[in-house]
Amino acid sequence: MDEEPQRATVSWENGTLAPVDRLRSERADSPTPGLVEGTEPGAGQESAMFVHAQSFEDLTAQAEEEVQREAELDKSGECAEELKVLVGEKTIEEQLSNDITSESRTKEEDVTSEAWRSHRKHVFVLSEAGKPIYTRYGTEEALSSTMGVMMALVSFVEAEKNIIRSIHADGCKVVFLSKSPLVLVGVSRTCQTDKELLRELLYIYYQIVSLLTLTQLNHIFQHKQNYDLRRLLAGSEYLTDNLLHRLDRDPGLLLSAVTCLPLASSARDMVSSSLQAAKSKNLVFSILLAGDRLVSLLRKKDQFLHHIDLHLVFNLVGSSSSFREGEGWTPICLPKFNTAGFFHAHISYLEPASELCLILVSTDREDFFNMSDCKKRFLERLSKRSAYQALKEALKCPSYSVEQVGIPELRHFLYKSKSSGLYTSPEFPDVYQSDEEQERLMGLYQDLHSSLHHPTRPLRSFYRCGETENLLAWVTSGFELYLCFSPLGTKAMAVSAVTKLLKWIRKEEDRLFILSPLTY
Amino acid sequence: MLMISPRMASGMQEKQFTPSLLNFFVYNPTFGPREGEEEKKILFYHPSEVEKNEKIRNVGLCEAIVQFTRTFCPTKPAKSLHTQKNRQFFFEPEDNFWIVMVVRNPMIEKPNKDGKPPTVEYQEEEILDTVYGAVVRECYSMYKLFNGTFGRAMEAGGVELLIQKLEKFFYRYLQTLHLQSCDLLDVFGGISFFPLDKMTYLKIQSFVNRVEESLSLIKYTAFLYNDQLIWSGLEQDDMRILYKYLTTSLFPRHSEPELAGRDSPLRPEVAGNLLHYGRFLTGPTNLKDPEAKFRFPKIFVSTEDGYEELHLIVYKAMSAAACFMISASVELTRDFCEQLDGLVGPQLTLLASDICEQFTVNRRISGPEKEPQFKFIYFNHMNLAEKSTIHMRKTASVCLTSVHPDLMKILGDINCDFARVDEDEEIIVKAMTDYWVVGKKSDQRELYVILNQKNANLIEVNEEVKRLCATQFNNIFFLD
Repeated sequence: MDEEPQRATVSWENGTLAPVDRLRSERADSPTPGLVEGTEPGAGQESAMFVHAQSFEDLTAQAEEEVQREAELDKSGECAEELKVLVGEKTIEEQLSNDITSESRTKEEDVTSEAWRSHRKHVFVLSEAGKPIYTRYGTEEALSSTMGVMMALVSFVEAEKNIIRSIHADGCKVVFLSKSPLVLVGVSRTCQTDKELLRELLYIYYQIVSLLTLTQLNHIFQHKQNYDLRRLLAGSEYLTDNLLHRLDRDPGLLLSAVTCLPLASSARDMVSSSLQAAKSKNLVFSILLAGDRLVSLLRKKDQFLHHIDLHLVFNLVGSSSSFREGEGWTPICLPKFNTAGFFHAHISYLEPASELCLILVSTDREDFFNMSDCKKRFLERLSKRSAYQALKEALKCPSYSVEQVGIPELRHFLYKSKSSGLYTSPEFPDVYQSDEEQERLMGLYQDLHSSLHHPTRPLRSFYRCGETENLLAWVTSGFELYLCFSPLGTKAMAVSAVTKLLKWIRKEEDRLFILSPLTY
Repeated sequence: MLMISPRMASGMQEKQFTPSLLNFFVYNPTFGPREGEEEKKILFYHPSEVEKNEKIRNVGLCEAIVQFTRTFCPTKPAKSLHTQKNRQFFFEPEDNFWIVMVVRNPMIEKPNKDGKPPTVEYQEEEILDTVYGAVVRECYSMYKLFNGTFGRAMEAGGVELLIQKLEKFFYRYLQTLHLQSCDLLDVFGGISFFPLDKMTYLKIQSFVNRVEESLSLIKYTAFLYNDQLIWSGLEQDDMRILYKYLTTSLFPRHSEPELAGRDSPLRPEVAGNLLHYGRFLTGPTNLKDPEAKFRFPKIFVSTEDGYEELHLIVYKAMSAAACFMISASVELTRDFCEQLDGLVGPQLTLLASDICEQFTVNRRISGPEKEPQFKFIYFNHMNLAEKSTIHMRKTASVCLTSVHPDLMKILGDINCDFARVDEDEEIIVKAMTDYWVVGKKSDQRELYVILNQKNANLIEVNEEVKRLCATQFNNIFFLD
């Protein structure tokens, strides 16, 4: 428990992201691109609330593990046999899938059918023994031989002291992620790059770790390599299903950032200080959510919440309606904080029908009543203030339309303040109302994002003019900006839109961002 | 290939390795379906000294990958496998015949202190699938140009003949692959056309007609000047690979005598002939030699109902080269070659100097060339025309580009983006080095421009490219 958070703090201070306290007067009204990090619109004033990956630190850390893994591996002989089995596999697989027609899960689907094959994105999780743990579509039983083949491929390449990364066919790619003791495989028909897909698999990995802790996971498989992990994860598949759904649609997961409920800063400060007052010895984080939007986040000094952990909490809260029925008390591992231990989260809605959900994260398993008391104190304090009314009002319009920004031909945008790890984005306009259209737009943003953040050839800006929309993306040391224009938009319009939009965000930053996060 | 990085000057010796060919093999999974017979599947394996079991293992992996991918896309086969250390490219040119090329990722070797082995860092994102996928397909096209299909060898002499042919062809051909200098131009595999005025073009056309009429054996003719194509009677795809052979293999091998003085011993065939500069690049080197053999390389080109086998005669005078193709069923004699030499030699010499003169006049009109602010690559999918001001000269051994390799890869990335969507698009990016790169795709044409105007903004870059399009491609419409 002790080591990890320390490390997080240290890397924070040494990193280039070290937030600097700045006075209001330093914040220019019309920010220029040369903005120093920490002064861009949306940058927090006191200090950041949570650790946010600058780009893909998670994947680089993985490379180090691989070097270790490679050193441990030395078992080349048996693999030729393995492959022999695997080439002739098809027939067995067909038999198997025919046998399993009596399964009774809602996910049931014929895994040899065209419909199953043509899902946009498959995700499989298996153990290193090749045992199925999770599949997004179909049942694990029906896919056990397919997953066996996956594992055989992974270990065959490993035996050559090499690591399998991905397979590419026209319009389809398969990516592999080994995170001992698990192996994750994604099969995608989208245009996403390998790196984007790996990032998504990594989220799924952390989702599973958050339920069990890595220590427990390792322990299980050390004792019984052949263990069927589904026994432990039974009933939690919906969390992974939901997370995958979010990954397709939530810009926050793409940007490694969180968005806030638009709220007058006076009201937000009031909420934050009420949260601050309701502290307790073992309380590490208090998070107030409105749906998927952050209202306020308080943390113990020196403790930072990683955006991945925060998204896992969002996913937990958003995936289950049971927290609506009363006060929930659940263990949760926050893997970016510490993969070894559980926190305990007190999860409850402020009022039965309200969107406002309070999450109090404690280190103590026996802390339920303390946390429950904290919530009571917070609510008592808050409801005495007018800020509560303002907050309830704000819930009625949790977003804003792009018309409010007043830039012609601008349809949608994403803006992320790098130093605060917060982003803002208007609601989808009419042209992107259907689920498919929204996912398509997200796909375009994903493309832009991966082009700009290419591991060896990153770009400063990217402009794409197509038949259905014009897109502009721009990364500086302070912010990331993604704009979507109608195809009628010109380059001149796009250039002037950036200036206008930054001005507008600066004007609205009080409402759109949390500028003065507090600690206990 | 080993390149020493500049950082080594600092004392710590870092070694940079460019991508290199690890394996190249051809197999057919139906040839050894039973256990213990796996070796029979392998028709060619480079390097041949690899131990048998390792060959079988590597082929087995490819089979497994292909089979596994079918679980998800039964109709679209696997094209590449990415691993930490290498990339493998799969290509099934004919039913069940697979060609696999394994390319090692570029890497950096960092020495460790205390006598520990050096740390190797693989650069996994440096290789573009589209580029090396195209290289594999070209390997097959080149084999097919000189040998016909795999199926043809099987029909003619069974597996033994096929193995023999593969061995003979790829042993030599693989040595000419230069994987470290492959780029976007390999993806296009285009043909560079020689720009010409109408009059001169008509002269060439009438020359071709006259020759084909006088020497009725000739089935197809192609005409090149300065390694650029002017006229071709072949199908586009056949011309594309023949052009590649001529410009990267045949012409470079014969360029030396041209440069040497007239009395140089390097050009004996010219010695007795004062009437013209014509000479055979394929077939007899000296017609006067009583020992001369009249054998020409055979090539296979497609016809409506399959393929036909042809003699390839390449005849050159100064910078002009004419290729004459004659059915392989005809035996070519000394008489025929002398007749051809007598007819074509003087005319081609004359044409060559005509074109040269024209070319110089045009150059003078367009004024002295300033070093432009931009460099570009243009490719037209309809006629395979390509034009590059980025590549100085592309031969088999070197491909000199005048821009940083990272910028070339950004062009490749943009090309991949274009390939995904079947609609007109424009992409403008600014690299971290502040270079602007513009890609335009319109109809079947693609244009890529690199601008070295670091302080320009999007609008200025757009204007600059518009100007370029107006001067260089005035009749082509690009989406704005």
